[in-house]
Amino acid sequence: MIPPVQVSPLIKFTRYSALLVGMIYGKKRYDYLKPIAEEERRIEAEEKKKREELERIAKELAEG
Amino acid sequence: MAQAAQRLAQRIAARGPQLLSAAVAYSKPRLATFWYYARVELAPPSPAEIPRAIDGMKAMVRSFQSGRLAQLTVREALRNGLVATEVLMWFYIGEIIGKGGLIGYNV
Repeated sequence: MIPPVQVSPLIKFTRYSALLVGMIYGKKRYDYLKPIAEEERRIEAEEKKKREELERIAKELAEG
Repeated sequence: MAQAAQRLAQRIAARGPQLLSAAVAYSKPRLATFWYYARVELAPPSPAEIPRAIDGMKAMVRSFQSGRLAQLTVREALRNGLVATEVLMWFYIGEIIGKGGLIGYNV
């Protein structure tokens, strides 16, 4: 078998620092996006409730 | 339909171990080769190598300042570009690990 290449320390170092930076970036961005998405879901649910309430009233009026 | 499903299940039960051993026989030498190279080529830098990496970075900055970039051959430039792309891909692997999901941000 061909002996493995000795990878330059610079490449190894940048590889693993990129991995680490990526992990930190992913975690930070996730933690930043999570509450925003939760807030959006909450507002969406509220609006849905309101819409359904209005539809119910409209139906009642149409029937009665 | 139910019979066909039963037959299929029986066949899988009968052939399962055979398939499994075939899969093991197929992947074992390949994994051994992967491990032989990965142990050396994918290893994280040892503490002794970090100063050398910093020296390498300094040398790169120096060569950039001295206009080495304009003297690169196309082949060298292509190779450097591929190495840079590979390092960038490591960043994305890190991002996947950090966000805890493969596809997008599962918020």
